[in-house]
Amino acid sequence: MSFTNYQNEFQKLLDRKYFSSEMHPLRKDAFTKLEACGFPTQKWEDWRFTNLSALTENHFLISEIKDAPQNNIDISQYKMDGIQTIVIYNGHFQQDISSVPEGIELLSGAEYSKQMNGQLFHSENSPFDLLNTAFMDSGVCLIVAKNTSIETPVRVLFISNGDNSIMVNPRIYIDIESNSSLMFIEEHVGDATLFFQNEAVYITIEKNSEVEHVRIQSNSMNTHNMANLHVKQLEYSRYKFYQYADGGKLSRSNIYVDLDGENAECNINCLSLSRGNQHIDNSIKVNHNTPHTYSSLLVKSVLFDNSTGVFNGRTVVKKDAQKIEAHQSNKNLLLSKSAKMNSIPQLEIYADDVKCSHGSTTGQLDDDALFYFQTRGIPKNEAFVLLVSGFVSEVMEKIKFEPLKNYINQKINSWIA
Amino acid sequence: MLEIKNLHAKVEEKEILKGISLSVKPGELHVIMGPNGAGKSTLANVLAGRDKFEVTQGEIQFNGQSLIEMLPEHRAGEGMFLSFQYPVAIPGVNNMYFLKAAVNAVRKYRGESELDAVTFLKMIREKLKVVELDDSFIHRPVNEGFSGGEKKRNEILQMISLEPKLAILDETDSGLDIDALRVIAEGINNYRNNDRAFILITHYQRMLNYMQPDFIHVLMDGKIVKSGPKELAHELEEKGYSWI
Repeated sequence: MSFTNYQNEFQKLLDRKYFSSEMHPLRKDAFTKLEACGFPTQKWEDWRFTNLSALTENHFLISEIKDAPQNNIDISQYKMDGIQTIVIYNGHFQQDISSVPEGIELLSGAEYSKQMNGQLFHSENSPFDLLNTAFMDSGVCLIVAKNTSIETPVRVLFISNGDNSIMVNPRIYIDIESNSSLMFIEEHVGDATLFFQNEAVYITIEKNSEVEHVRIQSNSMNTHNMANLHVKQLEYSRYKFYQYADGGKLSRSNIYVDLDGENAECNINCLSLSRGNQHIDNSIKVNHNTPHTYSSLLVKSVLFDNSTGVFNGRTVVKKDAQKIEAHQSNKNLLLSKSAKMNSIPQLEIYADDVKCSHGSTTGQLDDDALFYFQTRGIPKNEAFVLLVSGFVSEVMEKIKFEPLKNYINQKINSWIA
Repeated sequence: MLEIKNLHAKVEEKEILKGISLSVKPGELHVIMGPNGAGKSTLANVLAGRDKFEVTQGEIQFNGQSLIEMLPEHRAGEGMFLSFQYPVAIPGVNNMYFLKAAVNAVRKYRGESELDAVTFLKMIREKLKVVELDDSFIHRPVNEGFSGGEKKRNEILQMISLEPKLAILDETDSGLDIDALRVIAEGINNYRNNDRAFILITHYQRMLNYMQPDFIHVLMDGKIVKSGPKELAHELEEKGYSWI
């Protein structure tokens, strides 16, 4: 595997006048570690079903000023009522058309780092965390002070456009102090001809707070998406994650949740719809680090054509984490003979008083159900749409914000039709 | 209305129907009885258009049209209805949504205007009363978590909503308690008229205590071996099938 391209780009990034050199030691440290381990290969247990060779075969360049929009950009096609939006275009923050609801403190990465006295929390769970730390560009940090409920959802809209082969490494921090709540949406769109996005999202939810996080991945079929999500939950916190993915050529979501406080609860819901040669991999690791914590995973995939998918769910219950409850459910619908799904549900339990379950099913559309619909006069193609919609409907059902739920349902319906 | 002539059908190289002939006229109620494995459900499925059964010989005419090449959804549009022995559960699909899609698909096929949500709801509430089910029933996923009786009532609800010319009821009476049996029998009786025909497939004659069939047919080993009036059912009940 050749890293030369990444080495060249890293040097270019360090030479940039407009990047704070205070971050350089952190970046260099991460890059050195990345060089030592390299990108994962299919010999790595956690990566054996996902081929990453495209990441080194293609030459991705860091996004330059010329890749920022030259004119005002039109985001009306992504309009959603009742929310506020922050726009990042090819890694460049678009201040003029960005806003956040009152009560949220919005900081750039550099500002946030200053506020944290240079002690940026970062993970080294996978080489892509290191890559992100080395190259992190578009920093968005949202802070919600204690006792603050933000009623208006905030969205970060990532637009990847253009014909240059670009790599961006967005870094997002979301800190929710105690007794507060936030609904956070990240939406990935665009028509880029070749793109690599390696985002890292760090969410800390303090005592008695709640975050609903919706990730919509509908970017171009030539995008390589690496999403690294790190969630840390303190006592009585609630985290609800919904991922809807129908875009991207090669996509992997690495989701890590640490349930660090008693009575913390997380619900992870992922829906992947793939066609053509798309590959969507969801690798989720939930750590029950304390007693009385709750987690549930609901992951569904619908696969057409030659598309492939991976579900890797790992729930780890630490030795002293008694009285926890953890559930995993993975269901996959294969709609062609050549589509392929790999499902690895795993429970690692070191405590002895726990309630855990996991299950995985992969199958085709039920012929009996299709026939049943037809005998009721419903034409086969319509029956097909109804049945696939029925299969996926429960995953996004619990999203609280109706306009967003409708927005996603429309995407689902147009995808199936 | 329905003319079946020398019908042969097979599934995976196994011949199940071995020459069935049956003629059903508007207004008639036919009962088909027979032991397990005789081909009763196969006959029902072939009539409704299930493609895993291959018709190898014979013909089926429904209101003057040949059925064999017709799609199941078109058969429904032409007025054929099959009540399933084991209705499938469809998680995630709301019963009302399903019923509305079915009613409107059939109306569209028949050249009628589609019903709007309000008109549909009004209509379906009337029909729910007939099968003695409450409103909450149509907001649940189709057959998901329904009891045996609820599933069968749901079938009858669909039948009276789609207004078929010929309804084939495949063991609609099995697995039902007396109350459910009564509700379903009444649903069918109230629904009988001079233009509409029924084929009732059953193991037991107990359903026949509530209704007046015109003919009883005994299906054994893929053929109708005996036909007769209502009294034939009593005789079968007493003597079993080996008597024939």
